[in-house]
Amino acid sequence: MRSKLKRCIAALTAFAALASHGMTSAAAAEGAPYESYNYDRWGDAIPSQAGYMPERTLLGNDLGIGAFESPGDFFFDSDGLLYIADTGNDRVVAADVENDSVRHVYHSFIMPDGSETALKQPSGVYVSAEKGLIYIADTENARVLISDLDGNVQLEITKPDSEVFDQKRTFLPQRVVADKAGNVYVVLGNITTGAAMFAPDGGFIGFYGANRVEPTAKIVSEHFRGLFMSDEKKANRKRTVPSGITGFDIGGDFIFTCTSSSTQKTDTVKKLNAAGKNIFADRELYFGDYKPVYDATQNKMFAPSMVDIDVAEDGCINCLDFTTGRVFQYDEECELLFITGASAKQTGGFDHAAAVESYGDRLYVLDSSKDSITVFRETSFGRVVHEAVSLYNDGYYEEALGPWEEVLRRDGNYRRAYVGVASALLRKGDYKGSMKYAKLADAGDIYNKAFEGRRREFLKENFAVIAAAIAVGICGLAALGRYRKKHRKSKNTDKKEAEQL
Amino acid sequence: MMDLTQKQWVGHALTHPVEGFEDMRWKKAGSLKIALLIIVLLFFGEIAYGRLYGFQFYVSYDKTFNIIPYIVRSFVLFAVWVTGNWSVCTLLDGEGTLRNICIYSAYALIPYTAQLYINVLLSHFLVRDEYVFMQIIELIGVGWTALLLFSAIKSVHQYSFRKTVLALLLTVAAMLIMLFLLVLFMSLIQQIYIFISTVYTELSYRAKV
Repeated sequence: MRSKLKRCIAALTAFAALASHGMTSAAAAEGAPYESYNYDRWGDAIPSQAGYMPERTLLGNDLGIGAFESPGDFFFDSDGLLYIADTGNDRVVAADVENDSVRHVYHSFIMPDGSETALKQPSGVYVSAEKGLIYIADTENARVLISDLDGNVQLEITKPDSEVFDQKRTFLPQRVVADKAGNVYVVLGNITTGAAMFAPDGGFIGFYGANRVEPTAKIVSEHFRGLFMSDEKKANRKRTVPSGITGFDIGGDFIFTCTSSSTQKTDTVKKLNAAGKNIFADRELYFGDYKPVYDATQNKMFAPSMVDIDVAEDGCINCLDFTTGRVFQYDEECELLFITGASAKQTGGFDHAAAVESYGDRLYVLDSSKDSITVFRETSFGRVVHEAVSLYNDGYYEEALGPWEEVLRRDGNYRRAYVGVASALLRKGDYKGSMKYAKLADAGDIYNKAFEGRRREFLKENFAVIAAAIAVGICGLAALGRYRKKHRKSKNTDKKEAEQL
Repeated sequence: MMDLTQKQWVGHALTHPVEGFEDMRWKKAGSLKIALLIIVLLFFGEIAYGRLYGFQFYVSYDKTFNIIPYIVRSFVLFAVWVTGNWSVCTLLDGEGTLRNICIYSAYALIPYTAQLYINVLLSHFLVRDEYVFMQIIELIGVGWTALLLFSAIKSVHQYSFRKTVLALLLTVAAMLIMLFLLVLFMSLIQQIYIFISTVYTELSYRAKV
């Protein structure tokens, strides 16, 4: 009796110690200035394990080139060299972040005719590894510079004198990307009809991937009102235009775009094919926090505002939300993986998040107000998830089963893992298990397939029994019917006889 | 002629959409108990439809369970329908009593209720490709109920076709008005409750002895 009590007390203290330890570690989260969370299958935010942890903050001084000044964009080339568009200092820096060393600082370039030209507030940079070319959105000079790695300009793209391009507008390149064929895509700050697309020789092709106008009730009513307006009135009323593209990245054969408009609900993140068609358009996807947060002290709604997007080598999509300073990481199927970062002063928090990049197992976020680059390192949990996701996305569902189960052992609330396990079990032919996990993951389509398999299996196994049951049932019903008919008849005859008597 | 038990009357009304309710009226048949049973079954059918549906078709929010919407969708809606119809048709020279409107309307709801149960059951046997069967059953159930409801109102008040249509439209309007007043009344009650509870809280803080 006594020993039982003792054991009880020991267990209780152990539990208390565990609980308190768990709570402190959750709150502090190893030095991150935020608590990591994820969404469960009902779309409610729940505490979760972090996929990335802030490792360090990198300043311009650490690289020995003086402080950055409101840097606008950065880009990793395939060799792991980081190109930073240091907007305020009118330069582009190529740095080796691993070793804290600078490879090259581009202040000025040599034009094809031999003259020298300086950058003026470059806000976007892209490097094409195959061609060895740097693409710079030289905003204040109203041009895009394409130069080799030694600073010799190959091509200069200025405002196109095409009819399609509104000549009244200045040419304000913000971001630039080039595809494998050498076509150059430029996000312009004052154009909402999509990114300007240029041929490899610098000729203007047209606009690419415009956002759609969201069909809100107001816009629909405006449209109907417009039917009864005179042309003069129509010309003078407010126009409904979609929000422009803010950032983009190229991943595989697709260009991913995002818009920082916080009022826009559709097309916040798009995956465009070569023809400019949005692959995500037909799917009901939502990016960023599910519920916009209202802050009473600032009287502001905090709706997601995606300023930059990055596609990792393994296909994961990182979206940087300016309002919350969070990086939302999605897998290829747009299932939420991790939420990293916050708006805070400490390492891991952002003031004015500008751009996001990923390289290897690190995630880099550029802050144009803190003038710093924050480096996030993948946690061991993040590594397991990424392993599972990349196996899953390559179609190795069964091989991904082990990692997914490991994920569930570490975080039983991780919804994405249930989808993975359900798919793996479905592929294996374990329909019952797949149904169970699909239910936990809220994945109706996987459940449907698993259920179909299970039904077929069940019918095959029990065909004899079911057939016998149906036969017996039909016979029984027929017999019952005949019996009742007879019974009623005899009753009726009884009645008739009674009347006759 | 037409010596049917109450149970047989239910079957008769269901299978004879044109004459069934006329016969019932002529024979003064129909049981309030069965009517109530049907509404209770409708209530449980609604719950089953909302909660027990096959997972491949519909994912219900099973984190919480709120019974109020189901009560509103069955009992409250039926009560509002009956009272609304009664109040409108009394003014339009209808012959139906409150009791008869209640019974006939409830009998007319049987196909709809049955459809709820059948579909919930089928949703556990069918896959998404076979959803069309469930849609057909739903269509038949709703259509049959609409037909029966029309016939029920027509016979219970002894109306012509056109007058029945008018009465039904007015009934829907009356229902909307009643529901609006109900919501208004509820919010009023809530405010009064809040007022009283605030006064009580205030008093309980002040009146310290």
